[in-house]
Amino acid sequence: MSKLDAFKFIPWIPALAALICGACCWHRKLRVYAAPVSILSIVAAFLISFGFRDAVAAGNPNTINAFSWIHIGNLNVDFGYLIDPLTLVMLFVVTGVGALVAIYAAGYMAGDRGYARFFAYVSLFLFAMTTLVMADNLVLLYLGWEGVGLCSYLLIGFNFQKPSAVAAAKKAFIVNRIGDLGFALGIFLTFQRYGTVTLWTGDAGSPGVLELAAQVHDGTLAAAPADLWIPFLLMLGAFGKSAQIPLHVWLPDAMEGPTPVSALIHAATMVTAGVYMIARLLPVFTLCPYALPTVATVGAITALFAALIAASQNDLKKVFAYSTISQLGYMFLGIGVLSSVGAVFHLFTHAFFKALLFLTAGNVMHAMADQLDMRRISGLRRKMPLTCLLMLAGCLALAGVPGTAGFFSKDLILASALQKGLSQHDWRITTLAVLAIVTALLTAYYTFRLWFRVFMGPAKYEMGPKHAPQEPVDESSDGDIRVEHYHEPHEMNWLMNGPLLVLAAGALTAGFLCKEWVTTMVGGAVSAAPGSADGHAAAGAAEILIFGLDVHSFMIVVSVVVSLGGIALAAYFHWLNRSAADRIAVRFRDVVRALQNKFFVDELYDALLVRPLRMLGSLFYIVDRLLIEGLVSLVGALPRLAGMAVQTSQRGFLQGYGLGMAVGTGVVLLFVIYLTK
Amino acid sequence: MPTPFEPLQDAALSHFLMTGAVLFALGLAGFLCRRNLIIMFLSTELMFQGVAISLVAFSRLHGNDTGQTFVIFVLTIAAAEAALALGLVVLLFRRKRTLDCEAWAAMKG
Amino acid sequence: MEYALYIASVIGAIALTMMMPRRGHTPRTLGALLGAATLGGLWLFLAPVATTEGAAMTYYYVFSGLAIAGAAGVVTHPRPIYSALWFIIVVLASAGLFLVMEAEFMAVAMVIIYGGAILVTYVFVIMLATQSGDPRQAEDAPTYDRVAREPVPAVAAGFLLLAVLLTVAFDTDRIKPNPNTRGLTADQIINGSKTLGLERILSDRPDARLAKRIGADHTIRMPLHNVERVGLDLFRGHPLGLELAGVILLVALIGAVVFARTPIDPGDE
Repeated sequence: MSKLDAFKFIPWIPALAALICGACCWHRKLRVYAAPVSILSIVAAFLISFGFRDAVAAGNPNTINAFSWIHIGNLNVDFGYLIDPLTLVMLFVVTGVGALVAIYAAGYMAGDRGYARFFAYVSLFLFAMTTLVMADNLVLLYLGWEGVGLCSYLLIGFNFQKPSAVAAAKKAFIVNRIGDLGFALGIFLTFQRYGTVTLWTGDAGSPGVLELAAQVHDGTLAAAPADLWIPFLLMLGAFGKSAQIPLHVWLPDAMEGPTPVSALIHAATMVTAGVYMIARLLPVFTLCPYALPTVATVGAITALFAALIAASQNDLKKVFAYSTISQLGYMFLGIGVLSSVGAVFHLFTHAFFKALLFLTAGNVMHAMADQLDMRRISGLRRKMPLTCLLMLAGCLALAGVPGTAGFFSKDLILASALQKGLSQHDWRITTLAVLAIVTALLTAYYTFRLWFRVFMGPAKYEMGPKHAPQEPVDESSDGDIRVEHYHEPHEMNWLMNGPLLVLAAGALTAGFLCKEWVTTMVGGAVSAAPGSADGHAAAGAAEILIFGLDVHSFMIVVSVVVSLGGIALAAYFHWLNRSAADRIAVRFRDVVRALQNKFFVDELYDALLVRPLRMLGSLFYIVDRLLIEGLVSLVGALPRLAGMAVQTSQRGFLQGYGLGMAVGTGVVLLFVIYLTK
Repeated sequence: MPTPFEPLQDAALSHFLMTGAVLFALGLAGFLCRRNLIIMFLSTELMFQGVAISLVAFSRLHGNDTGQTFVIFVLTIAAAEAALALGLVVLLFRRKRTLDCEAWAAMKG
Repeated sequence: MEYALYIASVIGAIALTMMMPRRGHTPRTLGALLGAATLGGLWLFLAPVATTEGAAMTYYYVFSGLAIAGAAGVVTHPRPIYSALWFIIVVLASAGLFLVMEAEFMAVAMVIIYGGAILVTYVFVIMLATQSGDPRQAEDAPTYDRVAREPVPAVAAGFLLLAVLLTVAFDTDRIKPNPNTRGLTADQIINGSKTLGLERILSDRPDARLAKRIGADHTIRMPLHNVERVGLDLFRGHPLGLELAGVILLVALIGAVVFARTPIDPGDE
């Protein structure tokens, strides 16, 4: 067994853990075993991927086959795993961040009735996600895709007694479904076009999809009309899973799930599956000249859109949810300008700092007994200093402050976009790049708006719904008035804070530590498409000078200005002079209202789609009740009616019956006689 | 008279059948329109008579005695039936003090 | 010829309806006369069909007339006891018909069983189950006796059936003797099978014994009497039926005993 074969086990260890945790649900005493089993399985998966990383050399992908699955006619789908550098990066992210979040969740979810069920779902999610990133054919990828969708549904609706959680879970699943429809159609079309769904075989005799796409690029294989449509269908799936416009509406509602779920699934891993999928299938996407620009456009617009909304939200987790949408937009922008290194690197760093942010928000939530409204929390830094610092680390990374991981990854994307736009004299891409820069400003602003509001300023806070009812704090104007409470917010235990420290370290340092490694990894991945403008290594890019600086240095300057400017804005309005913010809010009431209501997108969908569907459903219900049931009842009623009609002839008089018999016999005999005459 | 071993050759058979048929029809009419239970049963006995005459006529037609044997069985059954039916009639009369057949129309739809 | 039958049926139906008991005055006599006229007319019409019977036909007409008159009486008389008496007349008349048809055993059996057993039972039951006042006053008879229930449909049904049966009865092409089922003559029995016991029966007949006594040839076989023929057919041809008939009679006996012991509370139910 070569080193590579060990990768076979990566999905199945969490699967086994899921089964064991499922068994632990049976009895309350067994519950305590759920978390260790799950955490150990994820750590084991991480160790395997980390330990055997040498077996995966850049530019030398391998496939290993776990077992055969479907062999019907031309369709050959196996549980095969494609291990190449891109996979390895994704595996690190998924299993690493997954392990940390699981450890955090062991402390966060303590005392919950569904403790074992939670870890079962998390393990199942890990199985599906690792299958997704390791899949060597589209059908298995789709299996993982659907699996993570399922686990997302299960975990969002984890507190199924809450109707809002159940509704959010349904919404997530249904919106994802719409995207998945596109993905499925794309897979079908791919199979029809290329005759196979395997991505890469390394065998010239039976090439995989990526190899065939490369052949189309070279000109050895004729192009077909399907080539133009496949990317659009596939990107629909990516948009659904990664919450881009117009399928972004599920992610903010998904915050109904427990915070570790939000951190793991809706920040670090599941939502990045769309980015991974496009990165993996880049050769297919480049066959259509309109596909990637569409991706980039949607990504940039989504980024701006979400950032605007985030700037007005008052719920901690909702701000981070919109922030996630916005950052995913960045990733799509990156991959749209063919900077797959940039996109994947941003994915990598985003996992760290977004998970960190969500988990610290979880800390705050836990401490404040489920209070999430920013307007009711202020000045927590004295009570929760560690959380304050951890969240600061995450916020710095998110804002792209120089030195943090976020800075490096965002810079990569922006620079590539600007470079591509300027060197190809394509004003559209340049516009997108400018939009992205504006979005960066907004990102810094809203991130620090949250941090300043929650941790800085006068210390007054209102405990949340889980708290025992106390009289609320009276609003005092300014000054550090410490109000005595029965139950004060406090720091969490080390089980929860430990992983946060690791994540914070990553958020701050992963930038300069991992950048070269990721670049080599992704650059040598099997999906490296010809003509990719990977960041600094763009082949033959003309030297472009802006204000005397080349593009990258210019970008660095712009990033610094933008991030610090955003922080300064936030500091002014939300720390030093909060009343100014309130006055502006009153002055621009309508704008604020539009932003707060998420540009009324949900209401639009409701009026456009949900209500007509409901009416259609009612119509069909009526049709079903009246027409179909009516028909069936009619068929049932006919014998009864016939019976009732005949019933009146049974009057109980024997002689009546006798009369009938006699007359009948006579008539029949008459017929017989005359017929046989 | 024709010898008894020779089957009836002439059309006199039809007359005997006619008599049997008339008796049967009269019995049927009586059964269907009289309300007194006893007269209803008596009408059925009348129907038996008609049938017996027809059977014996046919046995004479064919020259064998199966018809007459059958009539013996019919007589047996008629006797048994009459006994039981009349027993029932007495019981019914004791229950309702009336012999009107319309009093026992409870099994109506 | 059929039209004569149909017309006769229709008029006969009208006649019977007239004779049925009803509220108010019943034209019984008129109906009886009409019925008799119909029957007579029909017989006259059919006379050419009946050939060479001579005295037998006369006896036929007499007994048939009696039987039909008696049947009409059974069916139309308002009082049950009179119906029973009319029925006895029917039985005697049909016994006469059997005699005309040379079924002597049948005739006697009919008189004994019907007249001697069944009708006696009927008379007993009528005695037990009648609620009546003064027999002289017809108005005291209960309603169900006095009024027939919807006589027209009933009579119509009966006479419809009668018309059909008559059509068949007079369809001489249809009714033919079946040569395959001919019964056996005495000569055939004796000469054919030499069955044991039959010799003894046949030589035990009074006429054979008489012949033996006077020294005549007792082997001259006389025709079998009706009783002997019926007995041969019954015991040789249908022994199982005979046994079953016995069983049925036993069961009826048991049933009757059960009935007799059933306690009944008088009262409406």
